[in-house]
Amino acid sequence: MALITYREALRTALDEEILRDENVVVIGEEVAQYNGAYKVTEGLWAAHGDTRLVDTPISEAGFVGMGIGAAMLGLRPVIELMFWSFAYVAFDQIVNNAGCVRYMSGGLLNVPIVIRGPANGGTNVGATHSHTPENLLANMPGLKVVAPATAYDAKGLLKTSIRDNDPVMFMENTLLYGEKWDVPDTEYLIPLGQADIKRAGSDVSLIAHGRAVITCLKAAELLVAEHDIDAEVVDLRSIRPLDEETVLNSVRKTHRAVVVEEGKPFCGIGAQMASMIQEKAFDDLDAPIGRVASLDAPAIYSPPLEKRQLPDPQRVIEKVLRLS
Amino acid sequence: MNLKMPDLSTTGSPIKVVRWLVEVGDFVERGQAIVEVETDKATMELEALGPGTLLQQLVPVGSEASAGDVLAVIDETQAGSTVIGNSHTANEVSYHRDFLLNLYERMLLIRQFEDRVKALFLEGSMPGTIHQCQGQEATAVGVCAALRPDDFITSTFRGHGHALAKGLTVQEMLDELFGGVTGCCKGKGGSMHIGNIGKGMIPGIAIVAGGIPVATGMALAFRMRKTQEIVACFFGDGAVAEGAFHEALNMAALWNLPVLFVCENNLYGASTRIDQVMKNTKVSDRAASYGFRGETVDGNDVLAVYEAASQAAQECRSGRGPVLLELETYRRSGHSRRDPCHYQPKEERAFWSANDPIIRFAQALLVDGNADLDDLDRIQKRVDDEIESAVEKAKTTPKPGIEDLLTDVYAS
Repeated sequence: MALITYREALRTALDEEILRDENVVVIGEEVAQYNGAYKVTEGLWAAHGDTRLVDTPISEAGFVGMGIGAAMLGLRPVIELMFWSFAYVAFDQIVNNAGCVRYMSGGLLNVPIVIRGPANGGTNVGATHSHTPENLLANMPGLKVVAPATAYDAKGLLKTSIRDNDPVMFMENTLLYGEKWDVPDTEYLIPLGQADIKRAGSDVSLIAHGRAVITCLKAAELLVAEHDIDAEVVDLRSIRPLDEETVLNSVRKTHRAVVVEEGKPFCGIGAQMASMIQEKAFDDLDAPIGRVASLDAPAIYSPPLEKRQLPDPQRVIEKVLRLS
Repeated sequence: MNLKMPDLSTTGSPIKVVRWLVEVGDFVERGQAIVEVETDKATMELEALGPGTLLQQLVPVGSEASAGDVLAVIDETQAGSTVIGNSHTANEVSYHRDFLLNLYERMLLIRQFEDRVKALFLEGSMPGTIHQCQGQEATAVGVCAALRPDDFITSTFRGHGHALAKGLTVQEMLDELFGGVTGCCKGKGGSMHIGNIGKGMIPGIAIVAGGIPVATGMALAFRMRKTQEIVACFFGDGAVAEGAFHEALNMAALWNLPVLFVCENNLYGASTRIDQVMKNTKVSDRAASYGFRGETVDGNDVLAVYEAASQAAQECRSGRGPVLLELETYRRSGHSRRDPCHYQPKEERAFWSANDPIIRFAQALLVDGNADLDDLDRIQKRVDDEIESAVEKAKTTPKPGIEDLLTDVYAS
């Protein structure tokens, strides 16, 4: 085991996969010579050279589309978006080409691409740079959506995503890049579509992905200390494919569920979870399903308010306490 | 290009060469039978994968060969330049008669296919919408004739001509248009997304300019793998105003990628004339601003297109790409199924009708003595028969079941 940052975990995953498979190529703005806007790719260009790390112009539609074309012919491009917020100028490529081409070809053509980068608010950069599009993308059949909460998950999921034959939208978080977790020294993979119980508990299921998992873990500690409520924290890890069974098993055990996300509430991931749980485990519920999400407005700039716009442990606790 | 012995024998026993059907030095068409072979089960003919000149017969008659053995060497670079026949075109380059007639037949096949599909729409038997290419046959055929069988193309919502020129069959396309499970996309793509990766054509990218970055990425893959393929990327003049055009051409130039950008300039983006949407209507001028070569070509002269595309393909293959070809042509149909095309002025339509690529080429074939009226009639009949028999089958092709609706979404 080694204590490494989320950022280092991603870098190690890229490094190992570049070495393992000659088809892996990292493409994006300043990913090579500048070592990446958030230094995720630091040192990789020096180690692997121009053919494996490709600096691009500021042309998201262009280089995302190129990654898709290269993937159709069997390369495994990993496209770095400086922010997932910039994906919107490449939306046609992601939705129509990455998402639909396999289906439209009658299954003859795969698009094994990973598009990765940070998708989070909370850094006081305002509305256009704080988007969390996992719900938008998970709405597109053909795309997979992954959002790791820890360094361990980031590494194992990124390696699996690169080897996956479908387009994987990989959502990171700048607020997690510098956080450290224990990660095994030996190689491991985490399958897509496998949720993880980050904390076992018996009274309520807190269901989350990405940094909201960390928020839930903090809330769980306070809930047990201050209210004697033993919360189970279910980390979805991948939103599509979705591990319904782990979520349902948790709810069947605790009989209460709160879905927590940093995205906006309207048509959010929480809505999907609530629908799925009530459809498949209605009789196991002792209370209505609760939701905690970002407050429903574009991301505000003002620092003290942005903190309140995103879910925090206190809001999670309040929601749990209000479940009858 | 080598002709190899395919794996024909179920028992693994050697296969005998019975008879050579083509002499060394002869020109062969794509699909032409070259050699007759005999297995323990049957006698059959092996066909050329692309056009070219037979350079060597490596296995004598009566000898045996195993699966994978090279039987013959075909030089596809001599597809159109071998001086074997006595044909001459206006620009003094000699072409073999068979090559010229093949170009003619391909163009006619596209025209007849499009006209037949239009009739099927009018009679109400074909679903969906449709974007047709009558009048633009020379661009697809001229460019694809300059490609090798293992090269790729990308296309648009107006892709029937490109598909037929790249070697998709009338049957797999009609089956697809009828929404049949035997279609080239199993009925999941339809007219706007026609393609068959096995024949070097990805599904049509039906959002304007959306295929230009994709083609550029395919070229990046060739570059990374140090292979010799190129990709020809078809798009219309309307795509030039999209951001994806600019982004992709800039990166293709930056990395000298082997992509042949083919702008079919038919003067209209849907109903809007080109001079209403761009100040400089000479599309090929764009190339210079990115730092590569652009050229405007008469897109209704199939040989001019073929020659320009051959040269451009060669440049791309030798690391001097990309190239932007602007092919001036005209769409004789509406933009889509419901467009009566009233915005095209009568005089303009008359001018381009007189400049029709198929009529022009037929006249050249007759004047140069490469074909007589009987030859053209024979080709016409062959094309009509092929289409009619395919229409009959396509009308009854089985449709996908509800269980097929949810498959092919993910690889895993």
